[in-house]
Formats: sequence, structure tokens, C-alpha cells
Amino acid sequence: MKLINLFLEITLKFITLALLFSQTSCTQQKSNNLITIASKGKIESLDPAQANKLLSIQLISALGDTLYRVDSNGKLEPRLAKERPKLSNDGKTISIPLRENVFFHDGTHFDSSAMSFSIKRFKEIGTLNYIINDRIIDIETPEKFLLLIKLSRPSSSINGLLTSINLTPISPSYYSEYKDKFLNNNIISTGPYKLENYSPERISLKPFEKYWDQKALNSGINYINLNTSSSLFSAIKTSQIDILLSNSIEDGHRLSLNKSSQKGLLKEGKGPAMQIGYIAFRTNSELLNKQKIRQALSYSLDRELISKQVSYGLRSPLRSLTPPILQINSTHQWPKYNPKIARKLFKETGYCNNKLLSIPLTFRSNVPSDKLLALTWQEQIKRDLSDCLEISLNGVESTTVYKQLSDGIYEAVILEWTGDYPDPYAYLSPLLDCKKIKNNICEEGEAVIGGTFWGNQELQDSLDKSELLVGDERLNELRKVETIAAKGLPIIPVWNLNPRAWAQPNLTQPKFDGSGRLRLDKITNNNEQN
Amino acid sequence: MNRTRSLLKYSITRLALAPIMLWVISSLVFLLLRVAPGDPVDAILGNRADSAAREALRIKLGLNEPLINQYLNYINNLMHGDLGQSLNNQESVSKIIAKTLPASIELGVAAILIALLIGIAVGFTGIAKPEGKTDLAGRLFGIGTYALPPFWIAMLIQILFSVILGWLPIGGRLSPTLITPQGSGFIILDSIKDGNLIVLTSSLKHLILPAGTLGLLLSGIFSRSLRVNFEKILNTNYIEAAESRGIKRNNIIFYHALPNALLPILTIAGLTIASLIGGALLIEVTFSWPGLALGLQEAINQRDYPMVQGIVVVVSSLVVSISLFIDLLIACIDPRIKY
Repeated sequence: MKLINLFLEITLKFITLALLFSQTSCTQQKSNNLITIASKGKIESLDPAQANKLLSIQLISALGDTLYRVDSNGKLEPRLAKERPKLSNDGKTISIPLRENVFFHDGTHFDSSAMSFSIKRFKEIGTLNYIINDRIIDIETPEKFLLLIKLSRPSSSINGLLTSINLTPISPSYYSEYKDKFLNNNIISTGPYKLENYSPERISLKPFEKYWDQKALNSGINYINLNTSSSLFSAIKTSQIDILLSNSIEDGHRLSLNKSSQKGLLKEGKGPAMQIGYIAFRTNSELLNKQKIRQALSYSLDRELISKQVSYGLRSPLRSLTPPILQINSTHQWPKYNPKIARKLFKETGYCNNKLLSIPLTFRSNVPSDKLLALTWQEQIKRDLSDCLEISLNGVESTTVYKQLSDGIYEAVILEWTGDYPDPYAYLSPLLDCKKIKNNICEEGEAVIGGTFWGNQELQDSLDKSELLVGDERLNELRKVETIAAKGLPIIPVWNLNPRAWAQPNLTQPKFDGSGRLRLDKITNNNEQN
Repeated sequence: MNRTRSLLKYSITRLALAPIMLWVISSLVFLLLRVAPGDPVDAILGNRADSAAREALRIKLGLNEPLINQYLNYINNLMHGDLGQSLNNQESVSKIIAKTLPASIELGVAAILIALLIGIAVGFTGIAKPEGKTDLAGRLFGIGTYALPPFWIAMLIQILFSVILGWLPIGGRLSPTLITPQGSGFIILDSIKDGNLIVLTSSLKHLILPAGTLGLLLSGIFSRSLRVNFEKILNTNYIEAAESRGIKRNNIIFYHALPNALLPILTIAGLTIASLIGGALLIEVTFSWPGLALGLQEAINQRDYPMVQGIVVVVSSLVVSISLFIDLLIACIDPRIKY
């Protein structure tokens, strides 16, 4: 028995030692004074041509500059461009004078040939190259610091497109071997930070000494990936990280952090909402081909209640297809919640009075907020219109939903949209555009891919016309597009979501630019700032 | 036929069957992935891009080829040791696996060691006083660890040790302020090799919670198995004979009973470690451990066919190799085993 006791004693001592070892403070060693930012998701690529996820876009925005940036007021701000783009008389050539004395992280100079190289490379291999391929036909470099972009057709939304992270210039000499393939684990651009260290889960950035504009206010950034919302929440609450980016955090955690910031325990920064959540109706189905029914459904949706129940009010109810920062509408276009009008419309279409309209509503099963939205709307309908309408729920994984949208499988489906660049056209066109319309049914175009199959010639004409106009005239045309869509109701906007970030109290408040990206270079320790 | 020759014949047969097994598995994975709705283009582009852009991306990723051509290419490449390129970022699948596999092995080995330590300790206490209170507690512990949902216990442990007590980090493999040492990918081994105590300490701290949780959950199998085997062995004739010859109880337990009682433990440990390399998903997700299981989950979500196929082939190969190794080891230890 002595040997057994000895074994047990050794085991106990081992466990005690392990606990003692763990107790030697798990506070992160912050010897290098870098700011640690955490979010959910791996950074699988730092190549601007490959970037198609919010997190990659966020980090590339700190490592590179674009020709233009949208400022926090929604205005176009020249960055690597010296001034606003000039359009030729026929609207098919854009000339952009470029800033001089800008260096890439490898020490080479930025000029028009570097910009041309980067745009052409994106056109050639970019994952999302469709956003420019039908519009930009050629790039010319008549002078070292003058860029000419040749368009296939006049396109006023191209200005917004020039803010796209995908068009971040990269050093042609460094990328000479990567002209036709991605370079995922490095980036040589012109941004305020240069890459120090890369792995998909951990990235370190150091300030770039030769940066042309105001240098980063901190000594550098560490990015880490934590996989669950509860890990992210716990990490910021226990000071194991300095900043938390909210991209994928659950609404309950978001609320708790919001409350902590109100108590002064954290500092919260809120960016402009660029993501909109909506419900798409298949307008060529027997159930939803009647405009009155779609109208009734639109009136039946209590956005305020849904936002309160699902996100504790942190998602803003939305009755427009464009985010507020894009400022095309001061008034909301889509019908406001009104069960009385909804009931009247249902009655006019022959429902209620013992005849129930049954609508199958599909949600993406891997998106928790979609499921909660669906459940809340279902319950709200039971409360308000149980004698007229019944909603049955159907959860499908998102990739499958995207695949089957154009097959016309889903009567009503909850989706979300973030424009590829900050411009109203990048919201209205992908959701409403239709190339071939027959009897208000879209046979070919974005409306088919988006699963609504809704087409309207007047709307299409306005949308196309808006590309030829600038300024207020353009905005008026885009307003008209929204008004027509709000009457036709192929889509009901539900809410929009502001990106948020929370910082420890010793740091400055997180700030976002007009595209909803966190300004990493502006974060600093309060003491350092003083 | 003597024992060595029959063992050799058995090993050769197993080795010869391994490629066939791998071919069946990889073909099944290939087929099942293509049958599943949605493809990488839908995962990459979501509900955006027109049909021309989608088709262009489909061509670029080689998904426009007839299925049979895709399959033949895949098998041909596989036979040449080429697992292909990830559709998501066009990086070599072998390289991605080589980066994530060490994390999984590190976690798997540490978890098994902890499981063995706890399992054998609990099993022993039961043997020391059969049917006593400690034995009962040990048996309850064993059953309890089977029943506990891994994600739930992992979250509880994380909340207790990271949030409430603040002893250990919440997740990851290394403190964000430290640079991952270059080398084999096994951070603990690399830091020992470099003599970097800070990295070693940090990596061990990050390993304690995921490995401890996994070890705790697995320990029940070992404690129950040891307890049951020991009980059986202590009632055998040869133990009775040893007792009647006046051999001390401790000597009987450690030199006569224990080696035989440990044989099944060895088999379980081997198979568990092999399955852990590809299957500790919930623990990897909870503790943000960048291992193979997490990579597999992400690849499935992204419909990254070559990545999923590559991980499955690598994990299957490991399971086959480890189980063969365990078989041979047991054959060497236990002369009663016949093949």
C-alpha cells in the first residue's frame, strides 16, 4: 500500500505545483507596450486582392492607404490622391493626381505605375474583381503622379469604389513574383503600420517610420483571434486584451459591454452602420406575388420591438435600403408598423375571417440574430394578427441559402448586406438591379441572385440614370429608386448594425472612419497622449 | 509459423490495407462534399456577385470541370503526396496542415498525459479500498466525466480559472505580446530548444486549461477501465498463486497485476490520442486553440474541398498508423497475443 500512497502523493504534488505555476499571474506580459486587439475570426490573407472579409479589410486598412477614404461625416477625403477625381466630359475618363513623397514599407516610392499595377492585379486575380471588371477597362499613367482610369460607361459611383480596400496599392517590386497569385502572409503597402509578424491567429503591427501622413499614436498593435463571443467578452472584462472589436460578438455581450462603458469601466466607440438586415420576398411565388400582401407583411413588422428583443435596442430599426451615413434619405420610405392597416390589407386580399395566410420564413441557422429575429416576428404575429397570418420557420445554413436563392426556393428569407464600397449605388444596385424584366418579374440580374425576382422598369431606368449624374441630381434619382422599391416591396429592411469597439479605460476612445473601420492609428494610452 | 513471422505478416497486411482504406475514406469525403448543398463560390461571394462573376470564380477554382475529372485529378495528386491548394486563399493544404497539426498534437498528448494521471490515480484509489467511499466516489467521477457535455464543462472551467480567479489565460496558444518561435511548430519543444523560458511559461499556461479540461473528460475512461481490469486480474489464479507463495501485496499489485491491467489502457490511450488530433473540436473552439479540428470546422463552413479532404486524409493516416503501432507494441509486451 505504501507504493500506492507514494503514487497518490506524487500526483497531488504535481497538481499543486501546476496550480502554483498557474498562479504566477496570468496577466498578459505587456513588455513591448503594444495594444492588444481581439476579435473573432482568422486573418487568412493580408493580400488586398484577396480581402473579402471584414477583419482582413480592417487590418489592411491599417497597413495600407487607398486613393480616397470616407470621413466620419460620409464625405470623400483624398488620401493617396492629391485631390478629388476629375471626370472627363464624356464621363468615361477619371483623372486622379497622386500624392508625392509616399513610400512603401520596403522603401520604394509610390507613384502612378504602382497604383496601376495594383488595380490591374486586382482586376486579374481579385476575389471580388467583379466590382470593377465591368466598369474599368484600362488604366493609364501619362505622368509619374497622374493616374487615368478609363471606364466602359459613365459611372458616378466609381468615386465610392475608389475607397475600396481591394484597391490598396502594393509595392510592384516586392510583388513582382505575385502578379498572378496571392501573397497571403505579408503586405507591403504605404499605411501607417507595417507588418511585424503574421500568423492567421496572431498579427503584430509596428508604426511605419516613413509614413507620409500623421504617424500612428501608439507603439504598435497585436491582433489576436478568440473563437467565441464569451471568450472575447471575458478577455476584455478581465483586462487580458486592450480592445475588443464587436464584429461577431453576441447581442447580450454587446449590451453588457455597453452598460460597462456607461459606468466608465470601458470606453465604447461606435462606427457608422454599413450592414443592413432585411427580409427578401420571392415576388414570383403564388403566395407573395400580390403587392398588397407584401405591403401587409411590411406593416406587420414591429422593428422597434424586434430590435429591443433581439439586440436590446443596439440594432437600429431601418426603413430604408441605404445606411444613414450615405444620407440619401432624410425620411423613411418603408411602411411603419401598423397592425390595423396590415389587417385591413390582409382582409382585402381575402385573408383573416377563418382564412389564414401561411408564410414560410427562412433564416440562416448559423446566424444567431437571424434566428432570434424570425422567432420574435413569429411571436409578434401571433400576438397581433393570429387570425390572418401564420409564419412557419425554417433554418438553413448560410452557404446553402446563398446557393439556393436564385433557384427560387425561399418564399421569404432573412439576409444581410454590406456594400462593397460606401456608396448608395453599392446597396441599391445589388439588391434591386434587373437586366431583363417581364411583367414586373426579373428574369436576369441581381434581383434573381438575391431571390426576389422583382423587376421594375421605372426603377431600373432611374438606377441606370443615376450613374450618369452627379451631386444632388444623382441623389434625387437614387431617392426615386428607393421610393419605387418601397412601394413594390420586394424587400423589407429591418435594421442596421453599427460596428462597435470597447477599450480599457486607460486608452483613448476607439474611433471609426466613415466606412466603419476602426482607426487603429488613433488609439493611444491616455498618459502617452497627455 | 513462429510468433515473429506471424506478427510481421500481420503488420504487412495492415500496411497493405492502409492505402485502400485511405482511398475509400478520401473518395467518400470527396463525394459527400460535392453532394452537400452550396459550393466554395457561395461561401466566398455569399449573396453577392452576378452569375458571370460567379462563373468566373468557379472556373478559376477549377469547379467547372466534370466531377469525374476533379476526382481523378484529386486521386492522382494524392498519390503524388499533393493535397492541393486551399480554395479559400490558394495556399498549399500541406503547408496549412503542417502549421496546425503541431498544435493539435501538443494538445492531444498533454490531454492524454493528464487523463492518464488522473485516471490512474482515481482507479488506484478504488483498488486500494474496493467498495469503500473513495471507490464509490471514483466510480461516480468516472461516470460523471462521460456524461458531462464538453462545451459546458469547458466554459465553466474557463470562467472559473480565467475570469473569476484570473489564474490562466482565456484562450490561444501564446501570449499576444510574444513572438511564436520558429521551428517545428511545437511551441513547448521549440522554446525549450531555444532556451526561451518566457515563451515556455506562456505556452504552458495557455495549454493548462484546454489540456486539463480534455484530460479531465477523458480520465473517466481510464479510471473505469483500470478499476474493472484490476478487479478482474486480482481474482485470477496466478494472483492467488502469488499470494499463496507469500509475495508482498504491493509487489503483487505493481509487478504482477499492473502490467496486465495497463494493457487495455495502452490501447485506449493510443486510439484516443489519434482521434483527439482531429476531434477535439469543442475544446479547440472554446479555448481558441488553433488546431486541426478547428481548421476542419472552418473548412467545412467555407466548403473548402481540398482543405477538408486534406485534413481527413492526414487524420485517417494518423489513426491507422497509431493503431498499428499500438497493436505492435501490445504484441511485444504481451506474449499471449496471437495474430
